[in-house]
Amino acid sequence: MKLRNRVTSGKIAPDMTPMIDVVFQLLIFFMCTLKVIEPEGDFDISMPLGAPSASTVTDAELPPFKVRMEADGAGDLRALYFNGSNLGAGEQAFARLNSEVFRAITALQAIGKEQQEKQEVEIDPDYSLHYRYIINAIGACSGRLGTNGVPVRYISRIKFAPRREP
Amino acid sequence: MKIKSANATIPEIDMTPMIDIVFQLITFFMVINNFDQNEADERVSLPRDQLAKPPAVQRKDAFVMNFGFERNKDGSQASPEPYLFFGDERLTLEQVRPRLRQESQFYSAIGTKLEDVTVEIRADAQIQSGMVQELIQMCQEQGIEFQRFALKATQKSVP
Repeated sequence: MKLRNRVTSGKIAPDMTPMIDVVFQLLIFFMCTLKVIEPEGDFDISMPLGAPSASTVTDAELPPFKVRMEADGAGDLRALYFNGSNLGAGEQAFARLNSEVFRAITALQAIGKEQQEKQEVEIDPDYSLHYRYIINAIGACSGRLGTNGVPVRYISRIKFAPRREP
Repeated sequence: MKIKSANATIPEIDMTPMIDIVFQLITFFMVINNFDQNEADERVSLPRDQLAKPPAVQRKDAFVMNFGFERNKDGSQASPEPYLFFGDERLTLEQVRPRLRQESQFYSAIGTKLEDVTVEIRADAQIQSGMVQELIQMCQEQGIEFQRFALKATQKSVP
């Protein structure tokens, strides 16, 4: 009688079909639920309650830098002012604002590093101004991107002025 | 002479490379799938800024508000009036006050201090900025009293 070799003939190939089914289901699930979202960042902002009064400003607390933004009829930026000086409109106005803020904080650093951290920016837009200009202004006041892509921070305390009526 | 029948040898397909690739694909899709930003509403087209970098540490207590327009399929505005979107719910600025009160009470009920909660405002680039200010003012009203606010923007790539 011929005996079968038990070691070689007893090899059972595992059935891969169920696993492949499940794996494909998973693959299709992840492909379908894929939502490409751009990375989002944010800026902290505060909004004081009530109207500011000039009497609260003391020598220790310097008055905030004022950024006034005027809107035209369509909600676009008509003029941007930094501490009363007109910086114009369009993309260039925000570049000018960025360099003006840099100049102002460089002057502050001469007094002391703490002053720069305490310094606030007050953004005062017209009611109808499109919100994207606010973000542009906040970005210009917050700092700039360094050469290696690391942000250089100017001012972190940003607040809104009391709302203007429409 | 013995002749082998045709089905005597079934050629086995080696599945290993295919399974390898499929697992790679699954891993890829799992990694790039962003589960964190489920609260982001597609109807809101955020403004862009270079400095809007995602925070290194995720905020623990954040209340996200989407403030945008109803949009057509091509992305154009369907109506001039903006809405606050909470999932399928849609509220105008005037209608949102009870919802804010409810959220504020929720945080108080679970024992979270309101000064630790950040209200993240995802407002559309085209919204009137006075409305965003109005929304922040509402959040600070008596009985709601949120104190920390953050304005969201997408990161603009550097040219």
